[in-house]
Amino acid sequence: MTPCFADPARLFALWPALLLAAMAPAAMAAPVDYALDPSHSFVTFEVLHFDTATIRGRFGPLAGEVTLDREARRGRVQVVIDTAAVSTGLPVLDARVRRDDLLATAAHPQAFFVAERFDFAPDGGVVAVMGEFTLRGQSRPLRLVAQRFRCYTNPLLRREVCGGDFEADLQRSDFGMTFGQPFVTDTVRLKIAVEAIRQTP
Amino acid sequence: MIRSTLIATALAATALGAQAQSATYAIDPTHTFATFEISHFGTSTNRGRFDRKSGTVTLDKAAKTGKVDLTIETGSINSGTAAFDKHLQSKDFFNAAEFPTARFVADKFSFNGDKVTEVTGTLTLLGKTNPVTLKANNFNCYTNPMLKVEVCGGDFETTLVRSQYGMAWGLNFGFSDNVRLIVQVEAVKQ
Repeated sequence: MTPCFADPARLFALWPALLLAAMAPAAMAAPVDYALDPSHSFVTFEVLHFDTATIRGRFGPLAGEVTLDREARRGRVQVVIDTAAVSTGLPVLDARVRRDDLLATAAHPQAFFVAERFDFAPDGGVVAVMGEFTLRGQSRPLRLVAQRFRCYTNPLLRREVCGGDFEADLQRSDFGMTFGQPFVTDTVRLKIAVEAIRQTP
Repeated sequence: MIRSTLIATALAATALGAQAQSATYAIDPTHTFATFEISHFGTSTNRGRFDRKSGTVTLDKAAKTGKVDLTIETGSINSGTAAFDKHLQSKDFFNAAEFPTARFVADKFSFNGDKVTEVTGTLTLLGKTNPVTLKANNFNCYTNPMLKVEVCGGDFETTLVRSQYGMAWGLNFGFSDNVRLIVQVEAVKQ
């Protein structure tokens, strides 16, 4: 929208937005630290089985920290995933995916996501996060795309919470996991639900 | 040897004969799950999976008809957070003590060619029954190389309005009345 200063009615209508814009940088000038809320931070993976039904599994609760500087349009996130905690809803399948040819949880009990490149929307919302995902000890670039992102004041915690839903696709063969191909797809879709609680007032 | 070959041939002939007609499939619990998705403060998605379920599907691809009867144990809800599971099992939500199962029964199948596109029936939850249509995002039949039998299944989804079942907790705090239900199902020919 192009502001039209010749129109007094239009200018009047813009006042609240201008006031908020003037106040916002003061409130968000510094980087703000957030910690992942374990009750709302999970990753679900999806692979397609025999071109028929999706197999899903969940990792989490995720542990990690986020720093956001929405004015400077910078961010940092680091997340640790306990690979042995994978939950498909089926103990025998959990045991299968923990084995050495898939998650190799004995040798690699943790996966990591670390990112320092954030894309922001004009309103300060996060639209994508680019970083490095380490799984089975192998690191590859990974881009998470936000399906939605929002910051709100949680009425129970009385704190600011930022988070959303993110998606990413990876090829499991890039991490050395080829078991079950081609009956189970190489492409793995990650659906990441995440909320992080502001740590500083 | 000859006798066993004859038996095998007879069985194969019976199987082929039966294929043109209606076949019964048993839900494979290892590839069948229902997961709900509901928005948390318009921010992240809360997910919960039902881990115990059973049921049968009858499918006649030639006549383009089918039936499904699927029961889910509401107490088997699994969100990854024990406290949330406990709340979901309580009277605020699934009331698993009083209503231990939810049941989907359907006998209206829509097809595109030999693929199922929609399944319309009723869902009984918390003792209330409402019409539900599951839309297929994927549908396929294949011969499982280990079981050596036909398996049919797919990914289905629908959106439920939970207040229709009397599940109204949190509506007054702005939590969504709409719940997305995603169902992954595979069923093995009997």
